[in-house]
Amino acid sequence: MASADKPINTDVPEKDVFTLHFLQSLSNLRRQNTFNSPEKTNDRVKKIKKAAYVSMARAAGGTNRLWSRALLRRAAKENSKVVRFPRRKKRVTCLRRRRSNRRDPVEEEEAERLRNLVPGGGGMETSKLMEETAHYIKCLSMQVKVMQCLVDGLAPK
Amino acid sequence: MDNELFMNAGVLSHPSEMTSLSSSSPPAMLNWASMETHLLEQSITHNVPRDCFFGEKSTEQSIFGSALNSLVSPPPSESNFSGGGAGENYVIRELVGDLGNIGDIYGAPASFGNGSGSCYAAPMMSSPPLDAFSGDSRFAERAARFSCLGSRSFNGRRTNGPVAETASINGEMTRVSSNSALKPPAGESSGESSRKRKAKSKEHSPSTASPSPNLSKEVEGKEDSDSKRSRKSQENGENTKSLDPYKDFIHVRARRGQATDSHSLAERVRREKISERMKLLQELVPGCNKVTGKALMLDEIINYVQSLQRQVEFLSMKLSSVNTRLDFNMDALMSKDIFPSSNNQQVPQLESSSHILLADHHSHTLQLNPNDSSNNIMNPMETSESRSFNSQLPTLTHLTDSISQFSTYSEDDLHSIIHMGFAQNQIREPNQVHSTSFQGPSNQVPSHMKAEL
Repeated sequence: MASADKPINTDVPEKDVFTLHFLQSLSNLRRQNTFNSPEKTNDRVKKIKKAAYVSMARAAGGTNRLWSRALLRRAAKENSKVVRFPRRKKRVTCLRRRRSNRRDPVEEEEAERLRNLVPGGGGMETSKLMEETAHYIKCLSMQVKVMQCLVDGLAPK
Repeated sequence: MDNELFMNAGVLSHPSEMTSLSSSSPPAMLNWASMETHLLEQSITHNVPRDCFFGEKSTEQSIFGSALNSLVSPPPSESNFSGGGAGENYVIRELVGDLGNIGDIYGAPASFGNGSGSCYAAPMMSSPPLDAFSGDSRFAERAARFSCLGSRSFNGRRTNGPVAETASINGEMTRVSSNSALKPPAGESSGESSRKRKAKSKEHSPSTASPSPNLSKEVEGKEDSDSKRSRKSQENGENTKSLDPYKDFIHVRARRGQATDSHSLAERVRREKISERMKLLQELVPGCNKVTGKALMLDEIINYVQSLQRQVEFLSMKLSSVNTRLDFNMDALMSKDIFPSSNNQQVPQLESSSHILLADHHSHTLQLNPNDSSNNIMNPMETSESRSFNSQLPTLTHLTDSISQFSTYSEDDLHSIIHMGFAQNQIREPNQVHSTSFQGPSNQVPSHMKAEL
């Protein structure tokens, strides 16, 4: 059975941490020669997007969260880099199959959609999934704010 | 009144209270019954180690025996509760003798199987004769106890197979304890005693028929549901402290009117977890207060996550287009006119990024809005860059606090852009509250998205 009930922690660091990481990644991108070429906008867009997500994952708690882990691992795989994650203290509990009809069909369908959205959602139980979703939403909204400010700053009227 | 008497039977453990029983009025007996129950509870929790549910006969007998012993000879201390199982037969016989014609029902129980069996049989026949003894409260007390024991078991699921019986024991234990028809302490006591008795009867019946893995599984289930006792519901104020081996389990008490086997209990725990997290998510997602129900909520959440991801994508597109158009000036800065200088706090983590940005030797020109007065000299600022660089970090945090707390900026272009962005929001919408200033630009984004789509 699960451990004792602790209050759910979905703290997200401040904007500046996000900003910092994002700007770091952006500046790294800018230093690449191919970056500023007018062609291949899509590539650039994709790079920026990936940089945004990765920086968000790193800013929002690194490897402490399942979704950030999954994001970073995915990104590293694309770059064919080897990422080493420090061992987590808690054991990863595998999905337990119970005989009883614990799965609401409607709920499960929604949970499946959520799993597809949230990175790393495939291996989580529903309750854990929702916790991760909450944190993910917070981080996403923070990232959106940062990017919005950046865009506004860069394109003044 | 009589029913009350019977229903609220507690367990006697002190002679003084026993004697007072004959003269006490029912309400007083209730109070003291609750005290007794409490004592018995404690004794039970002390005396009932894990093993007892695995069928250790001696402890079971001792507990049941202790309950009976208390009727006859009050133990001076709780340690005596674990006293002789041999005494129980004697006790039963004594009671049998006391109760007169009821004694014929009980017969001479040589073994517990018979005793429990007769206890099952008792309520059917004993209730009418018991009325005759209402005058003698002491006898009524004892009789009530047995009838309670019997009736509890009678109310419980009476099944034939040993496996079913173990399941019924699980149900019995938790169901009885949540039966609010009784007053809580009495209900608790009778629940406890019935549990003891049924646990004992369980020893006998499974030993005959059930295969061992089945037994272990059932016992596991029972133990599991055992371990799911603790969190006080309002009704049960007794001591339901969890035993040490179970301390890392979630202890849940079955609520009234709900199924009580281990699977459904676990499922209920899971459902509660999920609903708790749904509440958390509901606060996060805007506009979800009106929506009730898991499916709709999940729909909303999924839509929100999708919209956030789309926003990120859109903003990254915009950012990429903006990046190509602009050159950034290292010199460009927000002057001190706009942002009053404030503290220069040292933040070590910024130094690495400052190195990164300093390494970038592009000359960038920053497009400034008309409000900005620019053209500060780069060189003198370079030296102070690291210093003032650090001061940018608090700016973002201060932003939400007050308008005026902006620190100086360095020629760090991108950082200053952020601040410019913030400042522009401030300048544009001076009247708005800080928290909404972020909402302002982000509100434009969906409209942009709509326009594009």
